[in-house]
Amino acid sequence: MAERTVEDRLREQYFDLLPDIRRVAEELEAEVRFCLLPISLKLDRYERLVVSSRIKECESAVNALRRRQEGATFDREQPDLYVLTGLKDLAGVRVSVFPRKRCEETRLEIRRRFADWEPDPVLDENGHLLAHKYFGYCKASNKVRGEFQVLPMLTSLFWEVEHAAIYKPTPKLKGVAGHPKMKDRANQVAAALKAFEEEFEMLIGRDPLGET
Amino acid sequence: MATAVTKSKILEDAGYDYSFDRKMYINRKTKKAFSVEFAEDHNEDELRGCINEDIQGEGWRFYFNSPPSEAVKRELERVLR
Repeated sequence: MAERTVEDRLREQYFDLLPDIRRVAEELEAEVRFCLLPISLKLDRYERLVVSSRIKECESAVNALRRRQEGATFDREQPDLYVLTGLKDLAGVRVSVFPRKRCEETRLEIRRRFADWEPDPVLDENGHLLAHKYFGYCKASNKVRGEFQVLPMLTSLFWEVEHAAIYKPTPKLKGVAGHPKMKDRANQVAAALKAFEEEFEMLIGRDPLGET
Repeated sequence: MATAVTKSKILEDAGYDYSFDRKMYINRKTKKAFSVEFAEDHNEDELRGCINEDIQGEGWRFYFNSPPSEAVKRELERVLR
């Protein structure tokens, strides 16, 4: 009989956790949408606030845990070292905001509801903030943590395109993003998107007729 | 960031290729491998010192922050074959 690998054990864990993961994603999305209603209702026509939820897929979760190990390798002789509940983003909600000046009030509004969640901001290599991120437990489960992110919409869309085009079809390529040269390029993209948005906001603000 | 790119260049100039799956810089000729974490946490001179270190024996030398267990070494040596 073939040896039961660490990955096999983790897949079993995943499907045991799946109902909880789904419940956390549903609760989190509903709570976040509710929290954000006061902001959504007062947005200008050109402003956007998009809430989306997702659950991490099985192979993605197993790979994420493996990549956390130095050398991205499980110790097959110590399978009990690895638990998927160590991942903070099995269920997550992302709030994409445009323009980025709306990010802070959006973050504060959600933060009021999830005051005890831990911050885990996404920073670039120079320490600049790319996205607000928090994780913690909600009522739906005491086993699976949820995560919410608040970030500028253009950054969010770039990450989605990057994920959909490269990493989702071939999860093993996820490690490419960790290469210093790729991180450097990603920083350049983030800086360009920020400059683009800031220019846009400045021009909107200067419109003498203010017909946006 | 410039430092991380510089370290990557030091390793690549010394014949190391980056394994995206294992997050390691690997040189099959010298049988040495550096984890990304090790490269991040050591300065350029330390990295050069490790690159130039004379190692004895037939096996691979893994430069990790936390030394890999025997099982992990075996697994890595299997995929590096």
